Formats: sequence, structure tokens, C-alpha cells
Amino acid sequence: MRMTRTAPGAVRIPAIVRPAARHVWPTLLKITTAVVVLVWLFPVYWIVLTSLKPVREINSKVPVFRFSPTLDNYRDLFVRFGFAKVLTNSIVVTVVSSLVVMVIAILAAYALARMRVPGEKHVALWILSLRFIPVIAVGIPFYLEWQQLQLLDTWLGLILVYIAFNLPFAIWLLRGFLGDVPFELDEAALLDGLSRLQIIRKIVLPVALPGIASTAIFTFVFTWNEYLMALLLTSVDAVTVPVTIAKFIMPYTILWGDLSAAVVIQLVPMLIVVFLLQRHIVRGMTLGAVK
Amino acid sequence: MALSLQGVEKVYSTGFKALNSLCLEVGNGEFFTLLGPSGCGKTTTLRIIAGLETPSKGKVFIGGRDCTHTHPRNRDVAMVFQSYALYPHMSVRENLVLNLRVRRLAQSEIDQRLREVSRMLGIEQLLMHKPGQLSGGQRQRVALGRSLIRRPNIFLMDEPLSNLDLKLRERTRTELKKLHERLQITTVYVTHDQAEALVLSDRIGIMNGGDLMQVGTPQEIYERPSSTFVAKFVGSPSINLLPVTARDSEGGLMLCLGRDGLDIGETALPATQEVLVQARKTDRLVLGIRPESVALRHAPAPGTIPAVIEIVEPMGSVNHLIIRFDGMAEPTIDGEPFVAVVRSNERFERGAVVWLTLRPDRLVLFDAATGMALAALSDAGTWRCV
Repeated sequence: MRMTRTAPGAVRIPAIVRPAARHVWPTLLKITTAVVVLVWLFPVYWIVLTSLKPVREINSKVPVFRFSPTLDNYRDLFVRFGFAKVLTNSIVVTVVSSLVVMVIAILAAYALARMRVPGEKHVALWILSLRFIPVIAVGIPFYLEWQQLQLLDTWLGLILVYIAFNLPFAIWLLRGFLGDVPFELDEAALLDGLSRLQIIRKIVLPVALPGIASTAIFTFVFTWNEYLMALLLTSVDAVTVPVTIAKFIMPYTILWGDLSAAVVIQLVPMLIVVFLLQRHIVRGMTLGAVK
Repeated sequence: MALSLQGVEKVYSTGFKALNSLCLEVGNGEFFTLLGPSGCGKTTTLRIIAGLETPSKGKVFIGGRDCTHTHPRNRDVAMVFQSYALYPHMSVRENLVLNLRVRRLAQSEIDQRLREVSRMLGIEQLLMHKPGQLSGGQRQRVALGRSLIRRPNIFLMDEPLSNLDLKLRERTRTELKKLHERLQITTVYVTHDQAEALVLSDRIGIMNGGDLMQVGTPQEIYERPSSTFVAKFVGSPSINLLPVTARDSEGGLMLCLGRDGLDIGETALPATQEVLVQARKTDRLVLGIRPESVALRHAPAPGTIPAVIEIVEPMGSVNHLIIRFDGMAEPTIDGEPFVAVVRSNERFERGAVVWLTLRPDRLVLFDAATGMALAALSDAGTWRCV
């Protein structure tokens, strides 16, 4: 038997495992991981490929992998379908509603996590239960109300709906994250002369940044991808990207080129956000899970 | 008076009463320690002084001003937390000067205080570090510095040494004492470690179950405890509490151990009339003897009690001896073993038969029914009421 030196003075005796078996599991794991990643990435690859193909090649019966790439689909999207307006709608609605949600959710979650709120536990559960409601169940009532208030097909109408939908989940998530920030930090800051709002801004937020980043991403992604309410409440002026993409599927044809280009454009902001905040998301997940 | 608590009570919404009508005065520049077991209300008291809790009843005066409902930032008190509570995202420098920035002090003043405090605590090299990069001892210094830099009226410390290892704790304890002697800032210190309390304090307040049991200098607390609880809580190894009966003997008090009627001491010790009256009222008394007040002999002598050494615990300069009395399964009232402390050069072996006498110093007599002290032996060797 061979002795392996692991550290000066320490001798590790390797466990008796058959050499073949030792390599089988890691290899199997790697293969499985590769297959899963491929299955998930293939549609993305295919949609990017399609967005760069000339229309003739897209509609070819045999899939074509070799072609001369073109930006015609993207040009078509912006010139013929006025995609710039749609993109602006999506960006404004998502950014504004996410910002408002985060501000309100941070204040509400701080109050629930730190202050003596009467019936605090019930309030927290009640807030979360709002998220259990199927979106479609409130779709028609919202439509009727928005019609009365003349909010149909407006940014404000959509922003208000997304705030209402995202707030409960954001408060619930943030309550856990802010609750993990040690209580004594608030008290030390209180003795240092900071006001409650200063404590939230200068102490609690920076410490809970990973949790706040992951909550912000959840809110952003949900709003950016939301389809059903946008379909119900918009028609021309405030139409968002997901609704427009769906419109490329027509009764007698599907505009694959424009559809693919729009999907790629929709993917880009999310990829940027996720890549930038990836570290925080992972830390945020564990921050909430492991005390 | 730097600090005064008058009839302070704290009842939580759950109905739990954490403090019972607490009255306490701390003088200017005094180092006052609240000592007691977990859950006795000492941290609650500290938090009420800091303004982090509001008392249900009573008043808090700081520097003669009624601060019962004053916001923490307007009390001019600084607190060192048990967990240090350093802001993890800020550098040591930012941690130290946050309060000064909030108070909008001039930059030159901030820089000067920062230099002064960081030099005093030896943390000049750490100013740009984040708390996560510091060792336990360094964090403790930064937490101390954050309070010192404010030059507060009162310094509050909530078990600031409990997260340090034993050696570092002892070193920091000495440094704290030096610092207090130099700066003379009124300090209220909370701990459950009696050694810390005895070493650091000008006066100690012993707490139990929300009550302040006794306030006094370390010496007073150690030598004249007001109750069996205080006697037991202070001193290591713990005081021996023996059930005794007392009888008058020529104007003195003759104590007999247990039911066997073993006389303790060769002669009756003189007692004041007041003590004799008190002793006559009850036949059940408890004698408190510090382990270092027990003398052991190898040979019998009049008035000595025969005993057997059960265990010898060498502690370096002294040995702790666990002693069993012949015919008595449990010699003490609390079932704890009877302990004597002898110098390690005195040769006492395990299993040896010894004869025991009590040195007539640091003896306290308690009422067995109430646990309250009746009399203590004065320096002149006379029992006097406590």
C-alpha cells in the first residue's frame, strides 16, 4: 500500500477503493451535467442561429447550419414592426415597477423584521398569500377597473399591476434577508446617532446587499417576462416585448426570423443583469437558507 | 451622580418580569459591574440605561437629567456589545468615526481623535481593514475604540470579553483596568464572570431574578455577602455552606456542625447582643466558610473535626481538596462537596485522614430559612450583624 504525504508530519492512508469505481461516479456526473446544459442551451443556440439566417434558409425543410449571417431580421423588426417603441415600453415598465417594488418592499420588510408590528406573523403570511392568487383570476377585474380609470394601454396601468404582483414576494424574501442582519448592528447605529432611515440606508442595506440583489433580480425577471397581464391590459401604446413576440405567431404563418430576433433582444438585458449580479444571487440564496 | 436608576421595572409583553423595582446609583468615574447568572436582568438594565429598552416603571437619570424617555442618541452613552456589532461593510476607520460624522464634528477634530484613540489601543495599522479581516482581540479593541472616540458621559459594556479565549481575556481585562484608571470614565459593565467583576470593579451589584441582591466593593461582597446566593456566586472555588446550630456560651456563640453536634472552633467566639438575640430565634443556621479559611492538620487536636480527603485537585500554586466528613453523606446544605484550599507544598494525599479547623476570618452566618446573612465575623473576632 502506498502512503501519501498530505502535510508535513501528517500521513494520510488512502481509503481502499477499487481504482475503476473511484473514477466512474465523477465521470458520470460530468456527462450528466454536460447533457443537461446542452438540452437547456440548445434552444438558445438555435434561436440565435435563426435570428441571423436569411428567411429562405429559415424556412428550408432541412436544418441549415452553414449560411451567410445577416442582420435583416433585426432591421426588419425595428423598421417594419416599430420594435424600438415596444422595447422602450418594456424597459420603462420593468425598471420603474422594480424600483418602486424594491423601495416599498425594503421598508415593509424592515418593519416586519425589526419592529413590533401587531400580528406581525399573520401580516407576513397574509402578504405572501397574495402571491398564491392565480394571475388570471384577477385579470378580468383589473381590466374592468383599469377601463374605468382609463389606465388601459398605459405605462402607469401596467406599472401599478406589476407593483401589486411583485410586492408580496419581494417583501417575503427581504423579510428573511433583513432578519439575518444582526440586531445589534441597528442598536449600535442607534447609539451612534443614526435615524431609522439612515440605519436602513447606511447599515442594513449594504450588509444585506446579496439578498437585496437577488430579490431585485427576481422582480426584474418576473416583470420583464410577464405576458398574461400585459396581453390583457395593453393593445397598441404600452405593448411589451413578450406580447409582441407572441404576435409573430399568426393564424397562417409564423415569422420565425423576426420572432427569433425579438427573443434574442429580450434575452440580452436579463443575461447582462444575471452575469453582473451572479455572485450576489448565489450568496443571496445561501444567505437566506443558511443561518 | 453620573447615573441613577429609581424604582426601575421592566415587564415584557409576554408578562415576563425582567426587573423588580431596581434602585441603583453610580458615581462619577466609577467602574460599576452588574454581576449575575444568565437571565437575571443585568443586560436588560444596561439596555434601559442605553435607551434601547423603555422601563415599564421608574426613572433613569443620567448626569442628573431625567432620561427615561430620551432617545439613545441624546443620552451621550456609548456601548460595547457582546458581539462587538462592528459594521462589517465599513473599514475600521469608518466604524470609529461614524458617530463623529453624524454629529458633524470638524474634520480636524475627527482626525485628531482618531489618531489619539487608535494609538491608545494600538490599532493604527488596522484602520483600512474591514472587521472580517481582524482577529477576535482586534475586533474587541475596535469596538472599544468606537465607544472611546465619542468621549461619552457613560460607558456601557455588555460582556465585552466573553468571546475571547482565556489568555486574551485576562490580558484585555488588565488593559481595560489600565484604560479606566487613566480615563476615569463612568462605566457600567455587565458580566457573569465573577473574576472579571472582582478584578475590574470599584463596586459590584449582584443580581438574581430581576432583583439587585447586594451592592458593595469587591472586598465587601466577598467577605460579607448579604445572602447565601451572593456568597455562592462570588468566589472560586465556591463558599462552603454548612448546616449548623448555635448555642450561647459565656456571652459568645458556640457553633455545632449538623446533627452530630461537632463543635467548630476550640472556644465560643464572642458575639454582640444583637447577634445572640437573632441566633436564639432560630435553631437552623448556615455557616459560610471560604475554602481558604479551612485549616487542615495531620493530627487530632481539641475542637478539630475528623475528615477524609476524597480528591486532590492540583491547580498549580494551590491544591483544591474535596473533603468528606465521617458519617455525613452531604456535609453542605446544597449538596456540593466541601472544599478546602491549601498551598501546593503542603502534603495532603488522597484518602488521608485529616483534622479540620476553621480560621476565624471570612465566616458568615446565614438564616437557613430565608438565606439572608445574620452575622459576619469582624476583624476583631466578634460576630456582628451584617
